[in-house]
Amino acid sequence: MSTTSPTADWALCGDTFYRKTKVYDAIFDQDLELENHIVAGAPYGGAIALFRDEDKLRTYRGTGATKPSIDIYSLAGKSIRSINWDRGPIKGLGWSDDEKLLVITGDGTVRCYYDLQSDFTQFSLGHGAEQHGVKECRFWLTGFVALLSNNSLVAVTQYHDPRPRLLAIPPKADIHSWAIIPPAYTLSRSVEVLLAVNETIYVVDSNEAEDRVLSNGPFKYASVSPNGLYVTLYTEDGKVWVITSDFQNKIGEYESKARTVPKDVQWCGNDSVLLAWEDEVHMIGPNGALLKYYYDGWVHLLPDIDGVRIITSDLCEFLQKVPDATEDVFKIGSTSPASVLLDAQDQLEKKSSKADDNIQLIRSNLPDAVSSCVQAAGQEYSVHWQKQLLKAASFGKSVLDLYSSDDFVDTCEKLRVLNAVRDYQIGLPLSLQQYQRLTPDKLIQRLMNRREYRLAIHLSDFLRVPTNKIYVHWACQKVRNSTSDEDTISHAVVAKLASKRGISFETIARAAYDEGRTHLATQLLNHETRAGKQVPLLLSMEEDEIALDKALSSGDTDLVFFVLLHLKKKLPLAAFFRVLTNRPIATALVESSAAAQDTDILKSLYYQDDRPIDGANLLFAEALRQTAPQTKSDKLKLAAKVLSDSKDATATLYKSTCQEAQALIRAQDALDRDIGDSGEGQQRFTGLSLNATLLRLLSLGYGKRAAKLQSEFRVPEKTWWWLRLRGLVATRDFGELETVSQQRKSPIGWEPFFNEILAAGNPKLAGLFVGKCTGLKAQERAEMYVKCGMVVRAGEELVKVKDLEGLEELKGKARAGEVGEVERLIGQLRPRR
Amino acid sequence: MAPHPGIDTDQIKEKARKDLLDLLQGVRGKKNLVIEKSLAGPIGLFLKFSTLQDYGVDKVFFLENDNVDVSQKNVIFVARGENASQAIAVADQIKRLQKDSSIEHDFSVVWVPRRTLVCNQILEEAGVLGDCSVEEFPLHFIPLEQDVMSLALDDSFSDLYLRKDPTAIFLAAQALMPFQRKHGLFPRIIGKGDNARRLMDLLFRMRSEASAEESTSTSPSTSGMIPSASVESLIIIDREVDLATPLLTQLTYEGLVDEIFGIQHNQADISTSIIAQQNSTSQGLKRKVQLDSSDKLYDQLRDTNFATGSRLLNKFAKQLQSNYESRHVAKSTSELRDFVSKLPSYQSEQQSLNIQVSLAQEIEKQTLHSDTFSRVLEIQQNLIAGADPSSQHDAIEELISRDIPLATILRLLCLESTVAGGLRQKDLDSFKRQILHAYGYQHLLTLSALEKIGLLQSRAGNPLLIPGVAASSSGGTNYTAIRKPLRLILDEVNEQDRDDIAYVYSMYAPLSVRLVQCILQKPYITSFTSPNSSNTSSSHGWTPFEDLLRNVKGETFSKVQKGDNEAVVKARHMLTGQGGKKTVLVMFLGGVTFTEIAALRFVAKQEEGRRRIVILTTGMINGNGIVEGAREKGDFGRG
Repeated sequence: MSTTSPTADWALCGDTFYRKTKVYDAIFDQDLELENHIVAGAPYGGAIALFRDEDKLRTYRGTGATKPSIDIYSLAGKSIRSINWDRGPIKGLGWSDDEKLLVITGDGTVRCYYDLQSDFTQFSLGHGAEQHGVKECRFWLTGFVALLSNNSLVAVTQYHDPRPRLLAIPPKADIHSWAIIPPAYTLSRSVEVLLAVNETIYVVDSNEAEDRVLSNGPFKYASVSPNGLYVTLYTEDGKVWVITSDFQNKIGEYESKARTVPKDVQWCGNDSVLLAWEDEVHMIGPNGALLKYYYDGWVHLLPDIDGVRIITSDLCEFLQKVPDATEDVFKIGSTSPASVLLDAQDQLEKKSSKADDNIQLIRSNLPDAVSSCVQAAGQEYSVHWQKQLLKAASFGKSVLDLYSSDDFVDTCEKLRVLNAVRDYQIGLPLSLQQYQRLTPDKLIQRLMNRREYRLAIHLSDFLRVPTNKIYVHWACQKVRNSTSDEDTISHAVVAKLASKRGISFETIARAAYDEGRTHLATQLLNHETRAGKQVPLLLSMEEDEIALDKALSSGDTDLVFFVLLHLKKKLPLAAFFRVLTNRPIATALVESSAAAQDTDILKSLYYQDDRPIDGANLLFAEALRQTAPQTKSDKLKLAAKVLSDSKDATATLYKSTCQEAQALIRAQDALDRDIGDSGEGQQRFTGLSLNATLLRLLSLGYGKRAAKLQSEFRVPEKTWWWLRLRGLVATRDFGELETVSQQRKSPIGWEPFFNEILAAGNPKLAGLFVGKCTGLKAQERAEMYVKCGMVVRAGEELVKVKDLEGLEELKGKARAGEVGEVERLIGQLRPRR
Repeated sequence: MAPHPGIDTDQIKEKARKDLLDLLQGVRGKKNLVIEKSLAGPIGLFLKFSTLQDYGVDKVFFLENDNVDVSQKNVIFVARGENASQAIAVADQIKRLQKDSSIEHDFSVVWVPRRTLVCNQILEEAGVLGDCSVEEFPLHFIPLEQDVMSLALDDSFSDLYLRKDPTAIFLAAQALMPFQRKHGLFPRIIGKGDNARRLMDLLFRMRSEASAEESTSTSPSTSGMIPSASVESLIIIDREVDLATPLLTQLTYEGLVDEIFGIQHNQADISTSIIAQQNSTSQGLKRKVQLDSSDKLYDQLRDTNFATGSRLLNKFAKQLQSNYESRHVAKSTSELRDFVSKLPSYQSEQQSLNIQVSLAQEIEKQTLHSDTFSRVLEIQQNLIAGADPSSQHDAIEELISRDIPLATILRLLCLESTVAGGLRQKDLDSFKRQILHAYGYQHLLTLSALEKIGLLQSRAGNPLLIPGVAASSSGGTNYTAIRKPLRLILDEVNEQDRDDIAYVYSMYAPLSVRLVQCILQKPYITSFTSPNSSNTSSSHGWTPFEDLLRNVKGETFSKVQKGDNEAVVKARHMLTGQGGKKTVLVMFLGGVTFTEIAALRFVAKQEEGRRRIVILTTGMINGNGIVEGAREKGDFGRG
């Protein structure tokens, strides 16, 4: 490992140190002609994609190797994959933070290659992209904006379920350059586009295109800092402007004095700007200080959050501001506590007593020194210096009485991960900040994409994150690419994964199915425990009945519905019903969903299932929806006909009900014609129940008609009497009621008469019925008389049973005129002494 | 009640509130909200509609009304994802807006509690899936009270038993899983009824699915669940096990308010003519009255027998009066200040007292002073007590002739059928005919539906009355066989100083709650069955009542859930110790009545020192709701 001075690659720009760390060398074949390629790098040190720029001439190399392709490399130059490309010129090539490669063609077709595979999903931008053509694209971590040649801007904010959206329409004019501010950094939380038009900049979001009224344009380049706070603009006359992204403050202006317009302008971190020409890079630091770097070959800039990667055919370098902690420790002539601590460690190794002197020197600042060393270690690429710094920190904290080692342990852990993935074989030169932003999960995903399963599992175990996804990924690769026969693959996969938790066999089975290995897919799917995952795949494999049974056993009715909808569309009705046979829950779900929408299918279902009552019910319900008396009757007849073969009690009652209902409809229709129109009542008879019809007839005074209906429908005597009573009371036909009272017997007894009439407010008439209630006790009758206000009669009842107590009580209820009479009755009972 | 380390209803409420507001905030700017009617009530339980305005909601529409206008660019639909017809409605309205509106709308669809495949497909087939962003709002159990949570599935009863649609079971399982994820596996699942069994199977299944779930999200909790330290058990009672109880008229204060006015989502619509208000003269309008434990008075009244409740009410009135009068005797300024500081609470108490007194008066008017009510009650009590059903037939016939509400009649007949194992074919036919005559022929469909549920059946072919045949094989619960051993009927009930759950029905102890007692209060129940037997409190599950339970419909089960890793379990138990109160979850599949809740609270009160009982249900029901679900709403009056 290199033990060169850590400051060897530092350079001062103004008063700030920048360092250029060589990460890898000998990257590309010299024949590759990097200058003729479009280069796109995935965020956080991910893969790079190369595509030959069609606009540039190429050296003739014979007839071979002319097939266009997109080549994916690691930053160390290891070829990961080559994707054949036959869709013509590429207008946008970019990455998402989970290493999806996005390729946008001129006609607005977007291909999203995932997992560094040649498999892709495709969607179209729409919004006129096809007619006008895509000019350019700009990407951020999770989305991109496409600029069409008619200046329309189309934004895609995520790739899982892409929804291309048209942004506000900018003015029609030449666009000199443009840049985007990712949604995470804007006030509106939606993407904003900066367009250099004429002398000014327009800011475009989904709602409006606003002119920022600048007058120093035209701007040849626009670039937004990684934290979204600053914008750099490069004017035609070679000036570099730095302003805040809200266009409120100008931070600086710098004269580049360059005669040629740079090839690229990018931010390096958030405080300096790089201008790149063919083989030369200028850095403009804070306060306009300048730093120049020269290269042997063509240079590409790949900006990241905390610096810029510079790629040439020979090397990959990372240019960044020297982190504060690192500067603190290593700056030449530094006397900072951390620097002293590092020196102390050095002395310790030399077994010098100066070690202790150093410690005593910085005693009061020791905790800060330790944490500085820890931080600096985290920023270091050289393993040697990482170790030195950590040793220093370790030494320092051993002197301290109280020190939380969390940061120390944490940093050690992260460095182990970082060193492992920085290896040129893996080629992921992450900085600590990038790793923290990327998250361990996504790092492991990247390792899987590179099929570094061993390392991925080691790291997962080390970081205590689940490994199941890695196994699944491995298995998917296996079923896709293995040349063994299907049974062998299945055994191999199952044997390996059987003991593991959280394995999605569905994913593996789907991979197998997509590869055309249906048998293998079925075998693997049997190991899947989640029905929600099994079912859709089974359906696409046309294993309909298995799918239905799996859905049913899951208890998830949504799944069952989903399968049923699918089957109903696909199968002829008879076959569909056959599937339903012996699956009662599926049948019930078909019933309940069809009840609202499709009764015809139910009729056939009930017919096939031999469920005549249900079938009849459907027709009966239809009858209820009819408006004309005749059609109502017709439907009822049909309902009865369905049951013509059934002989049980329910069916018999059903049939007679249908007949009665028809008869009632006819009778009511006639009544409506005869009586309803005479203006006596607004309400029609149609729709009333039989009893209500009778009651209404009775209260309208059509006793005879009522009686006719009563006999026709064989209404029981009791009911009939009740109806008459209620009808007469309702019309207050007390005369008729009095006549009734002269009858000897009533099938419902006489109490109802008493109660109803009393409630109707005719106590006198009610009293007439008390005497007829012979079934009751005298006391009860007395009570009834009291209710009618006939205290004396009540008394007489009580006298009959010699209830002295009752009489005494009665006295209290008597009115003035009656008290005497009650006392007389009491006197009758009280034995005279 | 202090927040419990176990299942905390307030926390669940707060989470639901936050989830929904986050979803609303996810859509920038002003928006119109279109909400399924049956979700408005449940959402109102944890979110005031006025709060919506703070989150940019301009207008709220009901999905069913199909009247959302084009006034806002952003339109958010909130509907249940399990329901295909709602998805169709959403799709139709999106299409309508797209056609009518001159501006391009941004549509969001929020599916409750989850995005389903069917809804996706419906939106896709309607061609609108691409035009809207789809979200999920995982609203499962909604706390009604600290000890009651409901899935608020209004139709769960008729779905399960009439249409045999098991969606509610699945939703219940889905709703229970988060509890297991958060608090650990339910150490024991005990239950009665076929659907209850299905629910348990689903819970087991989901557990195995959960472990297969790609839990790459860095939550280590799912990697092997272990039995909960805070939950003791889950008891699942299938409504089908005890259909008689909800058919009876509820006699607790809250129960009667529900029977007469109907309580939905802790609110009742009361006519303003009943709760007279000084400042409003509008007649015939309805006013929403909040009925929950935030009203201290109501909280004390709700679970009492109504007879006791009205007496309590008098006491409160007097007490409040004397408190209020204390201002006259207040002498020193400090006493006066004391009084003034209490004044607001007096006023709110006074207001609540006014409302409760008005309600009680109205209930009294409709019950105690009603001839039919007492007749109905008498029939019910005779039937449940096991009197010869045919002796009640005259009375029922009379009620039919007097045209009392159909629901009441159906409840009586269903009760008879349930308790006595069906009606004689002749009687059944005769009653059917009378109902069809009195209430209209359309009710042929109503009766057919009730038969399908099994609420109304003929005695022929019902094996219940054949001695020796257990009920669980087929047919319903055999009340005759369990009435005595479980002491369902108590002849002497002290409604005031309650000593048994039977106080809630004035004589009848609801079977559903007796079953829970069989698990939680074994010594008490054994004292009925075999007074001399030894102490059985140490036994688990249904022991020693298995034989008795054969007479109750449906499967009987009790399963222990063990963790995957015994060592972890032991370590955990060492750490947490065995002490502390554990929670018992009682899940009513198919619905629960307020009266049963009152009875369970009575049990909970007795168990207070040992455990906490939380009641879960698919929805609140009562007898009217049950028969309404079967009722045919149309008639032959069209045209």
